[in-house]
Amino acid sequence: MPSDESIKTSTGVTTSRRTEPVSAEKAADDAYPTSSKYALELNNVEAFYGTFRAVAGVSLKIAPKSVTAFIGPSGCGKSTLLRVLNRMHETLPGTSVKGQTLLDGVDLYGPKVDPVRARRLVGMVFQKPNPFPTMSIFENVISGLRLGGVRSKSELESVAETSLRKAAIWDEVKDKLHQPGTSLSGGQQQRLCIARTIAVKPEIVLMDEPCSALDPLATLKVEELVRELAVDYTIVIVTHNMQQASRVSDTTAFFSMDEQRAGYLVEMDATSKIFTNPKESLTEGYIAGRFG
Amino acid sequence: MAFNITRSRSLLSPDRTFRAITLMAAVTTATILAIIFVVLALGSIPALTASSFVDFIGTNAGPIFGTVATALIAIAVAGPIGILAAVYLVEFAPKRLAVVLTFIVELIAAIPSVVFGLWAVNDLSIRLRDSVEWWIASTFGKFIPFLSEDSNNPAADSVFRAGFLVGIMIIPLVVALSREIIRAVPISLREGYIGMGATRWETIRHVVLPTARIGITGALMLALGRALGETIAVTMVIGGSNDVPGSLFQPGSTIATRIATTLPEANPDVKSVLIALGVILFFVSLGLSLAMRLAARQTAKITASVK
Amino acid sequence: MRLSALIATIAAIIPLIALIYFVIVRAIPWLDAELFVNNPLDKPSGISNAIFGSLQLTTAAILAVSPIGVLAAIYLNEYASPRVASWSELVIDVMLGVPSIVVGMFAFMVVVPQLGVSAGSGVVAIGILMLPIVVRTTQEVLRLVPSSVREASLALGVPVWKTVIFVVCRTAFSGILTAVILAYSRGLGETAPLLLTVRGTFAQNWLDFGTTMNALPLTIYSYSGAADSRTLGQAWAAALLLMVLALALNIVVRARTVNSRVA
Repeated sequence: MPSDESIKTSTGVTTSRRTEPVSAEKAADDAYPTSSKYALELNNVEAFYGTFRAVAGVSLKIAPKSVTAFIGPSGCGKSTLLRVLNRMHETLPGTSVKGQTLLDGVDLYGPKVDPVRARRLVGMVFQKPNPFPTMSIFENVISGLRLGGVRSKSELESVAETSLRKAAIWDEVKDKLHQPGTSLSGGQQQRLCIARTIAVKPEIVLMDEPCSALDPLATLKVEELVRELAVDYTIVIVTHNMQQASRVSDTTAFFSMDEQRAGYLVEMDATSKIFTNPKESLTEGYIAGRFG
Repeated sequence: MAFNITRSRSLLSPDRTFRAITLMAAVTTATILAIIFVVLALGSIPALTASSFVDFIGTNAGPIFGTVATALIAIAVAGPIGILAAVYLVEFAPKRLAVVLTFIVELIAAIPSVVFGLWAVNDLSIRLRDSVEWWIASTFGKFIPFLSEDSNNPAADSVFRAGFLVGIMIIPLVVALSREIIRAVPISLREGYIGMGATRWETIRHVVLPTARIGITGALMLALGRALGETIAVTMVIGGSNDVPGSLFQPGSTIATRIATTLPEANPDVKSVLIALGVILFFVSLGLSLAMRLAARQTAKITASVK
Repeated sequence: MRLSALIATIAAIIPLIALIYFVIVRAIPWLDAELFVNNPLDKPSGISNAIFGSLQLTTAAILAVSPIGVLAAIYLNEYASPRVASWSELVIDVMLGVPSIVVGMFAFMVVVPQLGVSAGSGVVAIGILMLPIVVRTTQEVLRLVPSSVREASLALGVPVWKTVIFVVCRTAFSGILTAVILAYSRGLGETAPLLLTVRGTFAQNWLDFGTTMNALPLTIYSYSGAADSRTLGQAWAAALLLMVLALALNIVVRARTVNSRVA
């Protein structure tokens, strides 16, 4: 049963929220204006593995329905930061997070927040395509919904089709929905994983080097898809590939490592600006070295 | 706000409940193992304090001798055959053949030991008596009384045949464990040696087997542990005599066979002696098993350092 | 030298062939309907009580043990710290090396005084022998499930418990089934622990775990030296049944694991 109630969030902002199954959440989206003009807002976020600080004092803001690219050298904490954004970081033993991460103005790490529910709003696509090996294509797409408690067969079927269409893979798989997800090619598997992620109707989709395991053609398809998805979703993509960042993103954040090997944000700006006229010489050097 | 990410308010979260259930299962398992350990350790006390340990060994020399003898004979049979078969399966056999042969060898392990016993009583034991046993007795028996046999009237059961049978039964274990260990020897090591112009067999002798030595020793220890504890098949062919036999080709008994055949009807004194013997068996096999696991970890470290 | 290795391999296989040949040849003449229907004291005699006794004992033990074993393996693999998991692995491995006669002796000392010489005591003894097999094999299988599968599920907003049951265990399902079948097959052939706990009977026992029961291994053991050809023949028939069951279960298991390797 949908029910409206008011709660005081840890940020002190009184907001109205709805409790209802995930599947229906998106429908009510437009009726409720977001409380923040940013989809994500980070204030001095730090992430740790044990005592090792992998991310140091990152503050940034991400606009809704945009594509933001995280770039930087290996080990600069961009993937770790990405995992902080949907509370996946804490699933590894010994990890911790400090600072404030606001999701639409709500503190993601507030004491009352259920990480499981948070992850439904902030989906994630991984480096290597990881469809569930014992599930069919269809079961893979609807796995999030089904495990979230949705039983209605017609709803599952319609969501499966919509998600597969949005992930630009429907035409390739519509005749073999009941074959194993692992029977697809690498690029198709990755788009299947994207379909699976958007099937739970998240607000934000995080992508952790989604093309690094794919061939150039499959990469191109996923990049096109990222642009199309930006119409509906806020996307944050970690990439090693400069061309990819310049092709798909509106905004680019460049990260580097300090002396203690902690990753920090060097600068963040419109992608066109970062790639043509960055403020920092560090950024310029990295892009000159890695680009072209 | 268009969404809800707050926790549900119920105290009893399914996550915690499920975790608690699995924890309970793990604790139950641990408790059962702990109870076995404690009960057996305590069970040995009466027998071991009643008389001195040396006396205890002396009065139970028969089963202790039989246990050691059958296990050593078993290793002498299964060790060479098992290790060589493992070498063949890993190094020489064509891939498909290796798969089929491995499968067949592993099936031997699946056959219950009582079936081996039935076969031994009615067929194998007689064949062994008339072949291997007869040959050893007629070749060495004249000089070594311990290997002699009255060829006109051989005993119906013998320690040797029991050991040989156990040897056959533990071959699959030796093959399986040695195979894993030989396979774990890194290819880079072999290639280095072959690159120097060595033949396949030289490579195996000088690189593969030395690298795998600790692991194979461990495998043999585990097999020894299995052989020490093998009960029912041995009971069926060893004859059940409680004394140290004058020859390997005469009947005897082992700790395991004594327990299986006499424990249920034993009077309290005999009972505590049998339990003490069982506890020795328990700790010896525990020690061998532990040695094997530690050896395996050691081998893993060596091969890892190469990779 | 290659030849010597080949000869050793053949030597390792000959016993299996000889054994199977013997059991089949000796058992076939005695496979009649009475064997499966009648009990030892019926005329003509049969081993029905042993066949169904074995199935009852082993099935009861596996039903009691597999939930505990699988859940314990889930705890060790999914929740326990790596240190606890690694230690428990060592302990369980070592327990697997403990002879079944010792476990039988334990049951004789601890369980028989409570439950008497009965099927129930036998179930406990066999169950204790099965437990480490189920735990270790399940643990191995769960470890084969890549962590990317868990991450994918968690990232979809699936709670941990649902991830473990519906994603991890589902991925490893055929492997877990393998663990259970292997333990069952091992339990079917156990003899020595039954000698100390159940002992056997001539009567048919349906589901009364408070009294004694018969079992195929006990029949084989007690009939093995019989002079009477029908009795000895029934030992061979019992051996054939036991062997076929054990081999079939193992073949099924191996065929399954070949077909469904976790990606």
